[in-house]
Amino acid sequence: MSTAAKGTARSAKLSTPGDREIRTERVFDASRERVWRAFTDPQQIAQWWGRGHQLDVVRMEVERGGHWRFVEHAPDGVHGFEGRYREVRPPERLEMTFEWDGMPGYVEVTTITLEDLGAGRTRVSTHVLFFTKEERDGMLKGGMEQGMNESYAALDGLLARG
Amino acid sequence: MVQYARLDAAFAALSDRTRRGILERLGRGDASISDLATRYRMTLTGMNKHVRVLERAGLVATVKVGRVRHCRLGPRRLSDESAWIAQYHQMLEERLDRLDAFLERTKGDQA
Repeated sequence: MSTAAKGTARSAKLSTPGDREIRTERVFDASRERVWRAFTDPQQIAQWWGRGHQLDVVRMEVERGGHWRFVEHAPDGVHGFEGRYREVRPPERLEMTFEWDGMPGYVEVTTITLEDLGAGRTRVSTHVLFFTKEERDGMLKGGMEQGMNESYAALDGLLARG
Repeated sequence: MVQYARLDAAFAALSDRTRRGILERLGRGDASISDLATRYRMTLTGMNKHVRVLERAGLVATVKVGRVRHCRLGPRRLSDESAWIAQYHQMLEERLDRLDAFLERTKGDQA
């Protein structure tokens, strides 16, 4: 797997507005329309959402109330994610619920906002809201138990060594 | 509670794909700067820069033995809360990394 590819991203920024929320921003050298398609076209999202792993887009009805379901084939196993679209406002706002099969019934709400910065650049803001702190912590626990991604090993290593 | 000032340095350190890779590598065992430079096909100077960022954030510790600088995971212990945020952040960042690569790869494909 190549990690040497030069990307277009110009900046990354994270903030934690509350203990049930997480927010991150990044600027891409791509038009808002292209970024919107990358998030809403099943063939395109399959090429990046799986973080380098094979991703099956089982269902993707990009409209208010529509269902989505993705299955990621990671080295440690198969992980399903699904939810419904709460708001679809092209090409600027996408809001959806998000559940992981490992923690069924625990829902978070993800909002993706695309801001046109002109000159073919787009700021992508991701906001994630959990309903309770317990659900949030459960997602952490589940993630650690399942070893959802090999790159978590670094942080696990840090925690173990103290 | 989360200490935001301290976390900022850690998040900045973790926002880079190479630096995340370095931490992952060091999680499996110590390595010298030149080991890491070879692995990431980077100059010693370039790798030194990355390691220094990680060191400032307390994520990596280094010790010089003769002419060789050895790296290992740092003394920093993340609280459960900051660990959660860091992990979730990392997942989001990985997705954005892939989106970035995808947009770069498909540049010019579409009008």
